[in-house]
Amino acid sequence: MAHRAEPPDGGWGWMVVLSAFFQSALVFGVLRSFGVFFVEFVAAFEEQAVRVSWISSIGIAVQQFGSPVGSALSTKFGPRPVVMAGGILAALGMLLASFATSLTHLYLSIGLLSGSGWALTFTPTLACLSRYFSRRRSLATGLALTGVGLSSFAFAPLFQWLLGHYAWRGALLLVSALSLHLVACGALLRPLSLAEDPAVGGPGAQLASLLHHGPFLRYTVALTLINTGYFIPYVHLVAHLRDLDWDPLPAAFLLSVAAVSDLVGRVVSGGLGDAVPGPVARLLMLWTTLTGVILALFPVAQAPTALVALSVAYGFTSGALTPVAFSVLPELVGTGRIYCGMGLVQMVESIGGLLGAPLSGYLRDVTGNYTASFVVAGAFLLAGSGVLITLPHFFCFSVPTSKPQDPVTEALPKKGLGED
Amino acid sequence: MRSLPGLQGPRAPPLPLLLLGLLAAVRRSLEDGHPSASPFTSPPIQEERMTKHLNLSLESHNISLTEHSNMPVEKNITLERPSNIELTCQFTTSGDLNSVNVTWKKDDELLKDTYLINATGRILYTQYLFTIVNSKQMGSYSCFFEEKKEQRGTFNFKVPQLHGKNKPLITYVGDSVVLMCKCQDCLPLNWTWYSSNGSVQVPAGVQMNDKYVINGKNANETRLKIMQLSEEDQGSYWCHAIFQLGESEEHIELVVLSYLVPLKVFLAIAAEVVLLVAIILLCEMYTQKKKKPSDDGKEFEQIEQLKSDDSNGIENNATRHRKNESVSQ
Repeated sequence: MAHRAEPPDGGWGWMVVLSAFFQSALVFGVLRSFGVFFVEFVAAFEEQAVRVSWISSIGIAVQQFGSPVGSALSTKFGPRPVVMAGGILAALGMLLASFATSLTHLYLSIGLLSGSGWALTFTPTLACLSRYFSRRRSLATGLALTGVGLSSFAFAPLFQWLLGHYAWRGALLLVSALSLHLVACGALLRPLSLAEDPAVGGPGAQLASLLHHGPFLRYTVALTLINTGYFIPYVHLVAHLRDLDWDPLPAAFLLSVAAVSDLVGRVVSGGLGDAVPGPVARLLMLWTTLTGVILALFPVAQAPTALVALSVAYGFTSGALTPVAFSVLPELVGTGRIYCGMGLVQMVESIGGLLGAPLSGYLRDVTGNYTASFVVAGAFLLAGSGVLITLPHFFCFSVPTSKPQDPVTEALPKKGLGED
Repeated sequence: MRSLPGLQGPRAPPLPLLLLGLLAAVRRSLEDGHPSASPFTSPPIQEERMTKHLNLSLESHNISLTEHSNMPVEKNITLERPSNIELTCQFTTSGDLNSVNVTWKKDDELLKDTYLINATGRILYTQYLFTIVNSKQMGSYSCFFEEKKEQRGTFNFKVPQLHGKNKPLITYVGDSVVLMCKCQDCLPLNWTWYSSNGSVQVPAGVQMNDKYVINGKNANETRLKIMQLSEEDQGSYWCHAIFQLGESEEHIELVVLSYLVPLKVFLAIAAEVVLLVAIILLCEMYTQKKKKPSDDGKEFEQIEQLKSDDSNGIENNATRHRKNESVSQ
């Protein structure tokens, strides 16, 4: 097969965007809306809410820690078979969960099995997307990630309806059927061979080269810091509002408003990321700093209008930083190593995600309100954006944004390029 | 006009003193020749009522009416155990208080017991004291003020109502289910369960065999656990909370589905996914096949071009070599 020199930036790439859209919907939309099932599980298994919420925690952890595996397999076999296998695993996990007789059963089937399935789908798809686009990469990523937000709107009422008509066993069976569509999405991921591919070698060589790549390591640190602060408002905003004597319905409505502005932020940032010249890392730093500042302002705001404005702003900026975060990586490591790069990043940044919410909860228990946890979250985000400044070419204004050949060829032994 | 020493004011005097005052007031009202005065109850029975009064709690409720109230005013009162009741109605009018006719009724039946009436300024007060000890005494008690128009205030006494889920409970054949009834701020004496096919209620859970288990963690809730569900167990279930003053019930609908119901939907969706995958892969193979025949022709052209490039390239390489040599030197 002929190797392309440049990513197609369109054509079949838009079908990959569609596939990524549905995949992010089916993976993260399901995860985010799973809270609807928790009430039923608490009643059915007579367990505490805390123990039930471990189900999605395990699922998220497995999805993120398993990302390098998904990436390595995609490098070797291409994304299509890996994602299709992941879809089957995710659906199988839900199917087995519908027969559950205990909470442990659910931990293993949804947490472990579906989580592994999700690990094999999400990261390879986004990496594949990055390979199909270069000039419009941010926009494509932003559009694909809107799937997360839209599905959270659609799936929560859908799951509630399923629970009302089929009870949780039947509902899990039908969510499994829904997850089977991941297989169809995987079928859309046509393999693409780019010029860089032979140079970067197999998964082992790629992983080794990445771990020696300075900018990549710094970027991973930055993303981990960002991730630690990123999830806190989603987890604690409603509780914080309740502390301020808000009723549950307006508080939930505010979260929906923030979700809508998150959606808008993703698309706008995606478009901006491609339009603005220069490294995308600068935009990431901008959005991250803004998000950090907004988070630090949250405890200061007491009036309802101020809180609404802050929530909308937080939604926008935190949504804006997601597509850009994914776009920085191909610029750093090149599209040849993108699968492994993304897998490693997902795995390491998940540590931040796992630490963030419990840390915030602990601070709240110690201090009595959410002031400290919001400020700490903002501090983590600002620290992350600080680390971003150390990335190469940050302050240059004339560096082209297409894949940099120098870092790739510097890191690897030369294999027949330019040898006379 | 029946004017009596006012009974308004702070509840400072202790209860026994108050009741002696009540007794005196009642006697005086009878001396006035009040036409609707009830036959005077004999002292021993009244003594009994008073001792009963002392053991129970007192519930006081007020309703205010004016001559312009166009809707009957109602107050709902939840009563769980026997209590002394003190109901007060006040009526504000600009007209002559003497011409107002005051009556009390329970459920449309005129009350012949004694009740008190007092007037200050423009407001007419009437008060009815009694005790509720059984379910027959529950119901609606109304005070009527008749001037040109009849104004009515109603006190509705009910046992605590149970809070229920209105959605049906969905289960599957072979599963087990727990039906729960809970009373929010009350303690029933006892709970019973009934199931019904149609309108007849049949006691459920009577045979405490493997199928039914009744228990409750606290006194204010009850749980009926049904195991080995089958489609015959489908239908309405009723839990009755029994109080000293009556019963209240709650309805729970149980639906038992067969596993095939969601399974059919699952298989339909799975078939759709298989179809999608097949379409996508077939489309791809089709477009690749279309490329291949024309590709053969293109490849031929490309090979020709490479050959010509090569022949040029040798010369270029040669020039490059020379350049490199000159640079390295």
